[in-house]
Order: sequence, then structure tokens, then C-alpha cells
Amino acid sequence: MAKISLRRGAALALSGLLAAGTLAGCAAESTDGGATDTGSSSSAESTTIRVVAAQYTDDMQPYYDDLVARFEADNPTINVEVEVVSWNDIDQKIKTMVQTNDLPDIGNLNYFSSFAADGLLYTADELLPAATLDDMVETFIENSKYEGTAYAVPDLASARLFFYNKDIFDAAGLTKDDIVTWDGVRAAAEKIKATVPDVTPLALPLGPEEAQAEFLIWAASNNGGYYNNGAWDITSDANVETLEYLQGLVADGLTNPSPATFNRTDGAFALFAQGQVGMLNGAIFLPSVLEEQGSTINYDIAPFPTNRADGTSITLGVQDYFFGFKNEGETNKAAVQAFMSFLFEADNYAGFLEAAGGFLPATKSAGEAMSSDEALAPYIAVLPNAVFYPGAEASWPAVQGETQQTIGLAVAKGADIMSVLEGIASKAE
Amino acid sequence: MNTTTPAPPAKRRKKSLIRRFLAGPLPWITPMLLLILAIVLWPVYEMGRTSVLEISGSGVTKGFAGLENYRELFDNPNLLGAISRTFFWVITVVAITIFISLFLAQLLNAKFPGRRFVRYALIVPWAASVIMTATSFRWMLDGYYGILNRILLDLGLVEEAIDWMGSAETSLPWLIIVAVFVSLPFTTFVILAGLQTVPGEVYEAAKVDGASARKTYFSITFPLLRTSLFIATVINLINVFNQFPIIWVMTGGGPGYTTDTTTTLMYKLAFRSQEIGQSAALSVVNFGIILIFVLIYIRATGFGKREDR
Repeated sequence: MAKISLRRGAALALSGLLAAGTLAGCAAESTDGGATDTGSSSSAESTTIRVVAAQYTDDMQPYYDDLVARFEADNPTINVEVEVVSWNDIDQKIKTMVQTNDLPDIGNLNYFSSFAADGLLYTADELLPAATLDDMVETFIENSKYEGTAYAVPDLASARLFFYNKDIFDAAGLTKDDIVTWDGVRAAAEKIKATVPDVTPLALPLGPEEAQAEFLIWAASNNGGYYNNGAWDITSDANVETLEYLQGLVADGLTNPSPATFNRTDGAFALFAQGQVGMLNGAIFLPSVLEEQGSTINYDIAPFPTNRADGTSITLGVQDYFFGFKNEGETNKAAVQAFMSFLFEADNYAGFLEAAGGFLPATKSAGEAMSSDEALAPYIAVLPNAVFYPGAEASWPAVQGETQQTIGLAVAKGADIMSVLEGIASKAE
Repeated sequence: MNTTTPAPPAKRRKKSLIRRFLAGPLPWITPMLLLILAIVLWPVYEMGRTSVLEISGSGVTKGFAGLENYRELFDNPNLLGAISRTFFWVITVVAITIFISLFLAQLLNAKFPGRRFVRYALIVPWAASVIMTATSFRWMLDGYYGILNRILLDLGLVEEAIDWMGSAETSLPWLIIVAVFVSLPFTTFVILAGLQTVPGEVYEAAKVDGASARKTYFSITFPLLRTSLFIATVINLINVFNQFPIIWVMTGGGPGYTTDTTTTLMYKLAFRSQEIGQSAALSVVNFGIILIFVLIYIRATGFGKREDR
């Protein structure tokens, strides 16, 4: 009896072990939190700061290695540990650090507002000297504000434009002038479908990877978007109209068949690189992606097709941020400040931009220096018409997450557009 | 102990207690108990605690939330679909796996030339990382580059390429197939081990009595496999229920939330929707569901009772 119940107990314990082991991952909370900046015990004066930085390219790690070596030579009392994390993981990484109260000292991410809302961040004034802040592009600083105060500084920005395959356009007898408006895009797509077989006329990547951007580009070209005049405006008529237009394109087979599962990098960009796509919403870094994939396609860029009454074309500006986490007693402030200032010194910042590869600078001085760059010029030219994410809203990350998951469903045949938009709107507070 | 009876000197009593302790089972199972406490019970406690805390989108704990997270979770429009899909997913995958494994185990138990290599081959899906298997399938099934579409098109079985992962109707069956594929080796080997414990004399006796092959299987083999089947089923139930990589790699629970199980939904709530409290509440619910799975099964098979006899 004892032996037998022991066996049964073992089976239960085994199953419990398997179950709990898997579930525990989500609930675990570190107990050793907060001890990030006590430095080495041998020299009481020294401070260690941890930087979690985004991996724009593989050049980022060598860049930081060099930067940190020179910084530490100038500042012997400050140790800097930089961890370069890929874009797939960095969001979760920083969030887990926050949740386990194991805060880094400097973060580098595409949003900041939810951290600011929780009172975790230094203000921009505390991160950088006034002269450096004055050199920042105003729009970018504006986008770094939470409830009127800047809590982050822009590290760089990107802009987007429309890309088309010239060979496919030639074969279909189309030119750049045919895709200025939404009606033009539809007509062009129909023409491509009729004349060039086995090609996707328009790539529509509304899969989770980047759906929030794809949607905003189309919506803003129709005067819609997430946020208007200081308030969330997700269920607007303009957005419904936008999704109806896209739904029509999908239904007529002018796009990839299932936009909701079609991602940007492995879907749209990859197909475009192979010459299988007529046109798509591209970005400033698409040329380098094409180069990386050894693509030999013949392409050109154009403004985003518009459906605005005044015919203006927008671009989507996306900026990323540096922000500094306060620690207990704010003992890391001086070190964080010193490192941020060092990074934004003209030469170091130029190196940062070079390592990141093909992005727009956040400072005016770097912008002037780079305006002669032919590849960047068209993007710098459209920046005045840029729309941005409502990144200053604390609930933006949740809205973004829901948009990524669900907006693609709204363009499926017969989908209930309003219920999808309402689902997203429910995440906005 | 009765205080009125004269107590032995304190020192001696202490010593004898220690001796009794050392002679008993406790010293042997204490490390195990500590391990269970540390890696099973403590996370369960933390999980429960997190589920009643209010946690902001950025991960900061704001204080006690009571049952608010649970209320929000049960109001979540995607929860019901995920739960019913999870039950469908677990039951289908486990049932198909067990069914196929019974045949495979029987095959591997038979003597034939090259049996050793077939046994090795069966381990491959087990040895390969699930992420890798799922990634391979994801690209084999891709609407544009997938080898499956190429084959179907070349054979003229379909008119145009099918985007298998494009909608739940086509992706869910494939998720089930892949889950069965990776569950087969373990299940087959457990059943095979069971088959090998059946003594040969029993079969000889059956043969002497003139039992047909079918009768032999259902009256002898199958009943004697009960313990192996029980173990295979329970462990598979738990594994498949908690299965994350296959779904995450192949569909990400999408499009929308249409292929989410409660496990992937739990992840998405925390890291996509920024609802950490809700996610913790769902993990408690998941824990409850898995306990129910196990208890129902124990009850249904009469496993405990039979063994107690």
C-alpha cells in the first residue's frame, strides 16, 4: 500500500513538476532586485552603469565596445556595461528587467511613455546638457514628451516612402505618375495583375511584425490615424474608409492573399527583393535589406499614394529613444548623464549613426552634415509632412500590440471592420 | 507527552529524537522536499501572488488588485475561444498521438531486419529541437515558397498556391499534425517499454489455448499496457497543453487570436497587450485546468483505486 501510493504520488509530483515548471516562467520575480549600481566593492567611488542598447545592425556591438573603452579612459570612476539586444527581444528584455526591479541605467527602445508614466525615468534635461538638447530636431523632442515634459531623447529616426519595381511597371506600361493617388494605385495593381502573371501587384504586410506602421501609413494618407487633436480617434470614418479600400484590394486579388499573417521582413521585403512584388510601402532601410539579400531588382521610390482631398502625401516618421532609469537615491544620475553626453558628442554620434546604418539623425547639426547624402535626401525632404505614432501616450504600447495582432483581420473578405477597430480602441485609455 | 510522568533527562531525550529522525525516512527525502518547495511550490505561490497584483504596462507593481485581474481576464473577448480551442487541441493531439503510437510500438516490438535503425529514426523528431521542427514546417507550408504547394501544384491537385498559415481553418490542422509528429517518439517508446514488460509465457499460453491474434491483443496486450498508456497520456496531456513553440513559430496564434491556446494567449497578454496582471491570472487558470485534466484522467481510468487494491 505504502509503496503503491508512493508511486502514485510520484506520478502526480512529476506531472505537477512539468506543469509548474512551465508556468513559473511568467510569474517569476527576482528577489535580488535593484542592486545594479553599487559598483565593485573594492573602490567605493566607482559606479557601474548598465546600458541595454538596440541592435540596429551587427556593427552596434563594435561601436559600443570602442565608445565604452574611450569613455572609461576619460572617466576612470565609471564602468559601463553595454548589452546590445536584437529588436525581437529588447522590448521583452527591458520590460522583464523593470518587472523584476532589476533596472538597467540606460535603455534604448522605440517607446518610453509607459516607463515615464510610472515615474521611472530621468527627464531629458537631466540626461543631456541644454546645448545638446537645443540641437535636437524640435519635432523629435516634441515626440519625447509625456504630459508636457521630455523624458527621453531621440537617438535616430527613420522615414518611409513608396517603392516600386521598375521592370514590372515597364512591362505593365505604368510610370511613377500613375501611383500618386489611391485610385491610381488600384488601377495600376489591376493592370499589373492583367499583364504580368505570377506577381503580387501590391504587398500588404499587415502581419504582427509591423502592422501598426503599415496601417498608419494608409490611414494617414486618408486623414485618419490613431490619434487626432489630442485624443484617441481609432474608430474614425477615415480609418473605416481606409480599411474598406484595402479590403477591396485584397478581395480582388491585387495583394498577397492573407495580409493578417504576412510579415514585412520575411514576407513583403523578401518577395520584393525577388522581383515578385509590384509596389509596397518601403522604408529608408529597405535598400540595405535588398543589398544584403543580393537582390538585383530594378526599383525606384515614390511618395506615398494619397487619398487626401488636397493631394498632399505623408510619410511615417519613426523615432527611437534613449532614456535613463532612476535608481534608488538617484546615485546613477551623474554617470548616466556623463555617458549620454559623451555619446552625443559630434564625432561619437556620427559613429553611432554610421553603425546603425542609413537612419536619419536626431540632431540638427548631424542633419546638416548628412543632407548632401543622396540616399537620405528624399527622406529628409518629406520629413516636414511626417506623421508619428502617439508615442507620448502611456497606453500606446497596448494599442500598438493590439493593432499588430488584429488589424490584418479587418481587411479579410467580409470582415467586420468596426469590431476590429473597437477592439483596438478598447486598449486606449 | 504527558507532563505528569517523569520526563527523561532533556539531553537524552534530545539525542534520541535526533537518532529517531536520522533513522527515519526524512533525511532521505528532505533534499527532494526542499527541491520541490523551491522549484514547484515557490513559483506557484509567486504566480498566484502576481495574479492579484496591479502591474502597469511597463512592469511596475502598483499594489494589491484583488480579483480585478481575473474580472478583466473573464471579460476578455478572446478568452472563451482560446479555452475551447485549447481543449480541442489537447484532446485531438493526444488522442491521435496515442492511437498512432500503439501501432508504431507494435511494429517496433516485432522482429524484422533493420529494426534497430527504424527505432533510431523514430527518435529524430524527438531529438530535433521543437523550434527547428516547427520552423521547417512553417516554411514547407509557406504560401509563396513552400515545398508542399510546389508538390500539390505540380501534381495538379490544386489550382493555385494555398496560404496554409493564412487562416485558422488551414493552419490549425497543420498545427495538430506537427504536434502529433513531435509527440510520437516519446509516446511510442513508453508504449514499447510497456509491450516489452508483457511476459512471453502469457502469449504462449494464449497460443496453446488457441486464441486469435485479435483476441490476444485485446485480452492480453492492451490490458497489460494500461500503466504505460496512463503515463503516456498524462505526460502528453501536460506537454501538449503547455505546447508553446509550435504554435508560436508557425502562426503566432494568428491571424488575430484565431489559433491561440491559453498558453500562447498568456504570453501575448503579457508581452503584446501589456496586461501582465491578466496574464498572471490566466496562468493561474491554466494551472487549474491542467490539474483538472490530470484529476479527470485519474478518475476515469480508476488508476489510483486499481493500484490500491
